[in-house]
Amino acid sequence: MSSVFDGPILEIKDISFNYPGSERIVRDLSCSVHEREIIGLLGANGSGKSTILKIAAGMLRPSRGDVVLWNKPLDSYRNKDRAKLLCYFPQHLDVHVPFTVREIVGMGLYPYDIPPAMTVDDAMDMVGVADKADAFVTNLSGGERRRVFLAMTLIQGAGILLLDEPLANLDIKYQIEFLKLLRKLKEARGLSVVMALHDINLALQFEKVMLIKEGRIQGIGAPESVLTGDALKEAFDADIEVNRSGNGNAYIVHDRF
Amino acid sequence: MRPIRLVIFSAVVLGILLLALFAGPRMVNPFSLTAMDREILYSIRMPRVVVAMLMGMALGASGAILQGVLRNPLADPYILGISSGASLCAALGMLSGFYFFGNMSVPLTAFIGAVLVSALVGAFGWKRGGLWPERLLLAGIGLNFLFSAVLMLLMSVSSDEGLRRAVLWMFGDLSMADWSLIPSAAVFIVTGMGLVLSRSRALNAMILGDEFAHSLGFAVQRERLILFGAMALMTSASVSLGGTIGFIGLLMPHIVRFLLGADSRLLVPASAVAGGAFLCFADLVGRSLMPPMELPSGTVTAVFGAPYFLYLLRRKDVLSI
Amino acid sequence: MCMQKSTFHIAMRRHVAIAMLTLLLLLTCSAMASEPASSPKRIISLSPATTEILFGLGLGDRIVGVTSFCDHPPEAKRKAKIGGMSNPSLESIVELKPDMVVMTTDGNPREVDDRLRSMSLKTYVWTARTIAELPGGIRDLAAAMGVAQRGETLAKEIEEGIDRFRNRRPGTGSQKKVVYIVWPEPLLVAGPGTAIHDAIALLGLENVAGHAPSSYPRYSIEELIRSSPDVLVIGKGAGMDIRTVSQGILKKLASVPAVKHGKVCYVSDNLYRLAPRVIQGIEELSACVR
Repeated sequence: MSSVFDGPILEIKDISFNYPGSERIVRDLSCSVHEREIIGLLGANGSGKSTILKIAAGMLRPSRGDVVLWNKPLDSYRNKDRAKLLCYFPQHLDVHVPFTVREIVGMGLYPYDIPPAMTVDDAMDMVGVADKADAFVTNLSGGERRRVFLAMTLIQGAGILLLDEPLANLDIKYQIEFLKLLRKLKEARGLSVVMALHDINLALQFEKVMLIKEGRIQGIGAPESVLTGDALKEAFDADIEVNRSGNGNAYIVHDRF
Repeated sequence: MRPIRLVIFSAVVLGILLLALFAGPRMVNPFSLTAMDREILYSIRMPRVVVAMLMGMALGASGAILQGVLRNPLADPYILGISSGASLCAALGMLSGFYFFGNMSVPLTAFIGAVLVSALVGAFGWKRGGLWPERLLLAGIGLNFLFSAVLMLLMSVSSDEGLRRAVLWMFGDLSMADWSLIPSAAVFIVTGMGLVLSRSRALNAMILGDEFAHSLGFAVQRERLILFGAMALMTSASVSLGGTIGFIGLLMPHIVRFLLGADSRLLVPASAVAGGAFLCFADLVGRSLMPPMELPSGTVTAVFGAPYFLYLLRRKDVLSI
Repeated sequence: MCMQKSTFHIAMRRHVAIAMLTLLLLLTCSAMASEPASSPKRIISLSPATTEILFGLGLGDRIVGVTSFCDHPPEAKRKAKIGGMSNPSLESIVELKPDMVVMTTDGNPREVDDRLRSMSLKTYVWTARTIAELPGGIRDLAAAMGVAQRGETLAKEIEEGIDRFRNRRPGTGSQKKVVYIVWPEPLLVAGPGTAIHDAIALLGLENVAGHAPSSYPRYSIEELIRSSPDVLVIGKGAGMDIRTVSQGILKKLASVPAVKHGKVCYVSDNLYRLAPRVIQGIEELSACVR
């Protein structure tokens, strides 16, 4: 899906925020997301990753600063219109109600008065859950469930996905599967993704990362420049080094146990 | 959800309605009605069935709504204290001899009590610009205890006669179902239902969690407030019609979910209809078991409802809230 | 010989003296015995019915405590209160230092009797339940209270009243059907085992609810319509204007003979308790039916 629009589709400008009565803050934070970008948002627990995503999604109001979506302020959009452009995935996909896969994916239609181009079956096919269309989502594994919700966002048609630690507690097989799926969607449909993580090794595999410490951005860009040993030591307050091999692989090292 | 299930469901509901009209305690033959039969049918049985349907619908729908809004499978309109608040007000009215509005006096006091408690629950459940499910639940449980205690206090100091009447009212009394009570209650219940049906998609989204609901484009706090308000209105109208009859709000959504699926667009109306049929059935049993005596419908619903409630608690997938 | 005579006299006198002393002793003993050991001076009554009966026996001054429901006669309301029927305050009872506590099997729990007796308080348990048993019950109670004469008078009055009404019965040809509504919403009627039922039977009438499973059943309006009562009696309700409250039920019962022919009467609560007032209650009922 090519586009004439070159600028960032989502911009966060000088955001400040703090939870009432809490120490946790985000201060003077700015960043932007372009089309066809998958960005890894890396930081320690409590560094503000979830908060940033929620602010970007419009769920929290910053005390200062703006969020701009497709060149318009986020709060100027009607809820339904925003839903067609931007999606948020929480960390915990606990559903205890026996909705079927088809029903959940079908909820992606809710923002629309006139049904969008993609059908529920297409979406299920694309993520690979078509064979489980009538199964209850409560019976699926964590990985399968994430794919079902991903299919839902496909129908929503959102061009930007904000995912809060989608890979936590997933086996490596499913992590890789999910990431491959995201890459496929990026290429086929121009999807942009901002994904919070705190697995450093995983972040090192991304093309673009954002390193966060205590509500501030320590760096945005390729892992080679942003995720240096020093930067990581500081951000995570831990004794770690990055080993970079010749063929571009990187991984962190620390003492053996 | 296979269409055949919907057909069977509708058939069962219709069957129960017909039974309630024409069966027990004595059969009325619809094809050869005596004058007395016609009279009984018109002034006694029909209002009774209509009231049972209205009450059951209000309670069934309210249960489905609450289980979604609170994301709790054991939620029921009475868990929020609405029944004890309404009972308290009604008991006060009965024991003090309040009869200013004629036969609408007790229903009115019950309605006011229910609405007041709902408002209180909402007020306690409100924080930072919105209603929060956990707060609502806790506030409701707390208020429930409070009003139950005050009610017990009241009952322990009242005369035996007043006590008996209050208790009989609380157990559910459809015997005085009257055409005069029906229109006002029906207005509230139908309005509430309409409001809820128009928000079924929001309810579905909210069951997935506040984040997904927001992501799908719903104003979560506003939807929650509307749904809560509609539920409170319907429950209050129901209580005013025939006392506090429990377990319908708890049970019906589970049965319907099992038969017809979890989609609120079908779950809410189907729970309503199931609730109506169930109450008709309970009323039928109550008046046919030991004629000419009548057992309160609330005891019949409890006899069927309580064992199922306990069974629900034993099922692991229900407890993993 | 003279000596013998005087000894005899002395001996004789001694015997007579002893005999007379013994006789005197016996007389005083029996006199004391026939004055009942319980001629109680401080009586507590644990039920409105027994309170009324005690007052009827002229023992009003000796009553030191009553329940909060004892409202007849008016003097009873001024007595010290010891709580309700099912939950009287044992403490209050003991504080009043009664030498007799009167209770009934119809309304007071048995445990109260056990507790009081374990605290060495004297109790009297009233067991009569029907109008027929009322005179006998009064006689027994009166005897226990040491006023057997007055008991006899009161019992006779009641027996005469009963006979009067029994003899006024209509012939067996017309057995009118009566229903006595104790409360209209929800519909509560007088069933078997009540003084009301006895009164109806006494007057040779049929209580439509006579075969109900309990004494004050919640009755099916439908069944009432089908039973076509000829007379509808509505008892006084506590604290409310019963005529207003009954409008609803009378509308629903508009087709029964009683309502159609205007044979609906409002009576007082004379028949709600098994007390001397039941005679007035029977009279009211009788006037209603004629």
